Amino acid sequence: MTLSTMLSTMAAGMLRTCGIFALTLIGSLPLGMVVALLRKSRSPIVRGIIRVYISVIRGTPLMLQLLVWYFGPFYLFEWSIRGWRFPALILGFIVNYAAYFAEIYRGGIESMPVGQYEAAEVLGYTKTQTFMRIILPQVIKRIMPSITNEVITLVKDTSLAFTLAYQEVFSLAKQISASQTSFMPFVIAGVFYFIANYAVQFAMERIEKALNYYR
Amino acid sequence: MILEMKNIEKHFDDLEILKGISMGVDSGEVVSIIGPSGSGKSTLLRCATFLETIDGGEILYMGKEAAHTDANGKVVYVHHKELREFRSYYGLVFQQFNLFPHYNVLQNLTDAPIEVQHRSKDEAEETAMELLRKMGIEDKAKAYPYQLSGGQQQRVAIARALAMKPEILFFDEPTSALDPELTGEVLKVIRQLADEKMTMVVVTHEMAFAKAVSNRVIFMAGGVIVEQGDPAQVFDDPKEERTKQFLRVFER
Ligand SMILES: Nc1ncnc2c1ncn2[C@@H]1O[C@H](COP(=O)(O)OP(=O)(O)OP(=O)(O)O)[C@@H](O)[C@H]1O
Ligand SMILES: [Mg+2]
Repeated sequence: MTLSTMLSTMAAGMLRTCGIFALTLIGSLPLGMVVALLRKSRSPIVRGIIRVYISVIRGTPLMLQLLVWYFGPFYLFEWSIRGWRFPALILGFIVNYAAYFAEIYRGGIESMPVGQYEAAEVLGYTKTQTFMRIILPQVIKRIMPSITNEVITLVKDTSLAFTLAYQEVFSLAKQISASQTSFMPFVIAGVFYFIANYAVQFAMERIEKALNYYR
Repeated sequence: MILEMKNIEKHFDDLEILKGISMGVDSGEVVSIIGPSGSGKSTLLRCATFLETIDGGEILYMGKEAAHTDANGKVVYVHHKELREFRSYYGLVFQQFNLFPHYNVLQNLTDAPIEVQHRSKDEAEETAMELLRKMGIEDKAKAYPYQLSGGQQQRVAIARALAMKPEILFFDEPTSALDPELTGEVLKVIRQLADEKMTMVVVTHEMAFAKAVSNRVIFMAGGVIVEQGDPAQVFDDPKEERTKQFLRVFER
């Protein structure tokens, strides 16, 4: 296999890796906010469920969670898992990352000085207006560094999709390396992850800078 | 009467902080509240502005009841939607300013009028610029709070409260967080508002200011009003021993 056929075979895997990355963020960034708000719910049952969810997610390996999402429906309900690979994978990633983002949001929300809430309340803002206009924009700025960390971890975590034999760049690298007895696919994958992370860091830095118009 | 508070009681856990305070504020009146630390001055303002719920008594704005105590001794507030309407009657200036750091000065002054009172952007901005001129900081309209001195920040906070066109303005030690050389510029604008007959209640440790600007001084200690009256009388000829003792500390 020439280097260029190797590259073009792996390019499809790179695209799939980017797909996992993008879908996970699109799903987990908002879901994390919902989870963070439910954690403050008035109902102790809801709060309890959320707390269990977060501690289970954080207390078990993502690789194991992916296997449970994929094989769980079959073992529990004897459902056919044909066509279920990709949905299970994305669900596993979203539900996992939402828990981590939720904790980051919670920390950010709790770090807001009470004076901001009180000033808004006295001015007559509703609870929703206070959160959306006053609290959330400041929280986003405060948590940007932690979000960056998680997003960079996610770039690398996408390789866990090999657990479900999904053909993203890392799975392909393993396969091609074994069939061609070549180390090259791993080098290509490594360079890809490195460049992807570099791009993510660049983008996040731009966002952080854009938010630096106030202190 | 703009504000009437009757027999206000407030406790935190078992600690009684306000022990039946009654006070009324007429239109155009400037009332200063003085008293030792921990006497409940801030708590009283926080009850008046619904940041704390009272445990007994009545609160009325413009003769309308916002909270009362029922026959069983339980305090009942009007529905929270109605309570928000009461908020348009007053403004509160905090010791720590509490400006919105992500908004520039103009946005700090216009966001609530536009979003809460549904006024047009043009009108809100016009009102805001007028207020900034009055506060002597019209050149700071596009600045962010972190770029301002404490005295300028507090003047923005006063303007932000005034932008809502309240009937009454509360101040909780508006100059206590400022360096001494900056207190003057803030006291000056409050004095100017007093000259324009803005109704105000000012908790302060600035005795000279209280004496010069207010129509009435209330001396609070231990959760009750010990003495109140004309500033000249309270400051120069206090009747209560507790007041004399408090004022002696300040004369030194
Ligand atoms: N949220 C709270 N929980 C418990 N105790 C409180 C709370 N807020 C105030 N207190 C107590 O109530 C008392 C009165 O406090 P307050 O802040 O009203 O006093 P103050 O007259 O404004 O004093 P200062 O001049 O120091 O500002 C104090 O003993 C304070 O510790
Ligand atoms: Mg106080």
